[in-house]
Amino acid sequence: MSVDTDPSTWRPLCHAIDVEIGTPVQVEVEGLPPLAVFQLEDGFYVTDDTCTHGQASLSDGFVEGDEIECPWHSGRFCIKDGKATAFPAIEPIKVYKTRVVDGRVCIEAFPAAA
Amino acid sequence: MATISIAGGEQRSFECAPGDTLLRAGLRAGIGLSYECNAGSCGTCKVDLVSGELDDLYPEAPGIKQRDRDRGRRLACQSVPRGDCTIKSRIADSYLTPNPPRRRTARLEASRDITHDIREFAFRADGPAAFLAGQYAMLVLQGAPAPRAYSMSNTANADGLWKFMIRRMPTGKVSRTLFDLAPGSAAELDGPFGLAYLREDSPRDIVCIAGGSGIAPMASILDAAAEHEHVRHLGAWLFYGGRGPADVPAIADLLATHHLERGLEWHPVVSVPALAEGTDWSGEFGFVHELLPRKLPRPLPEYEYYFAGPPPMVEATIRLLVADNKVPQSQLHFDRFF
Repeated sequence: MSVDTDPSTWRPLCHAIDVEIGTPVQVEVEGLPPLAVFQLEDGFYVTDDTCTHGQASLSDGFVEGDEIECPWHSGRFCIKDGKATAFPAIEPIKVYKTRVVDGRVCIEAFPAAA
Repeated sequence: MATISIAGGEQRSFECAPGDTLLRAGLRAGIGLSYECNAGSCGTCKVDLVSGELDDLYPEAPGIKQRDRDRGRRLACQSVPRGDCTIKSRIADSYLTPNPPRRRTARLEASRDITHDIREFAFRADGPAAFLAGQYAMLVLQGAPAPRAYSMSNTANADGLWKFMIRRMPTGKVSRTLFDLAPGSAAELDGPFGLAYLREDSPRDIVCIAGGSGIAPMASILDAAAEHEHVRHLGAWLFYGGRGPADVPAIADLLATHHLERGLEWHPVVSVPALAEGTDWSGEFGFVHELLPRKLPRPLPEYEYYFAGPPPMVEATIRLLVADNKVPQSQLHFDRFF
């Protein structure tokens, strides 16, 4: 079994069919802060769900291209690398290595510390 | 009177007087609705309208987008209920300060020039002027289209004196109305509001940064610090950015008190060198935030920051402090006016 599909390495978050382009989904799993799952044109992405500026839930926000705009103060982040792209967001959000295994969006079971 | 109910979690409600906004009525009633600018710009006071009807005072407000409205969201600071409403809102006691905002009639008593285009206006109202240093009030002038937020430049007092420093804007209807106001004229004063107040319990030295009329809340904060039995022992710095030397106020005339125990360090800076030609300017050139790492003796995370000024100055200051120097955001105190 390759590392990439080893179920002990990849931790399932939700079914891929439940995440539509433009409509992120908030997922809570043990031991991690709330997560936001996105589908973009080229695949699935997972980030921390809580904005680094004002503590709002990014999955309530608006997806524009590769960016998520926070619903509270309109700060923006790149969904692919987590960089803050529009004020008042300044600090990046954490992005998790993501892959789809057996129809489910998964992240690494042991993501590196932020 | 409209009754506003807050849905979800703890069931709470408050009364909203005719013409009052959701936000201000809520704060008056001691409900900590989230907010920052009170002027439709920042988006912090967004609420979900569950039921009822609201009039929108500022349909083109930059703090909310059409797609937010499409989801039923409204700005509490610009919403006047037509009747009973139910809303969902972020609520926290941190949005409350000791003196709930109150509407009162104030009369212009005196004014004095601070720079060539900034003037201090002293209003007097009944009752004590109770507010925290760094807070603001909304001034409603006859003939002006909308209330505007202005920070107090003095400190709380029993005499009912509220002072504001206001920059003359060639196109600003409110500032023009104010600069033409005769002594004795009445205005509605609604306040206090704002969360960028002096943290008396912080052990860290104080850094104030201002541009333009943003000097007003800094004067209040530094005077309050100098009067406080513990805070006056802290170090204090005041950085001020203007375009040219004429924009820089005479600091000695600005502060009521100078007895900060360890002295106040004053660093004015101008950004347009051409405006200094032919003057006796011997100070710094550049943007005000650039001075912070050069003039502050210790690592930047070791200070408490208060700032007010034009949006580019505020943004550059936050970027420098938070992104470049890892100052915790809890040590930054400012209100986002745009």
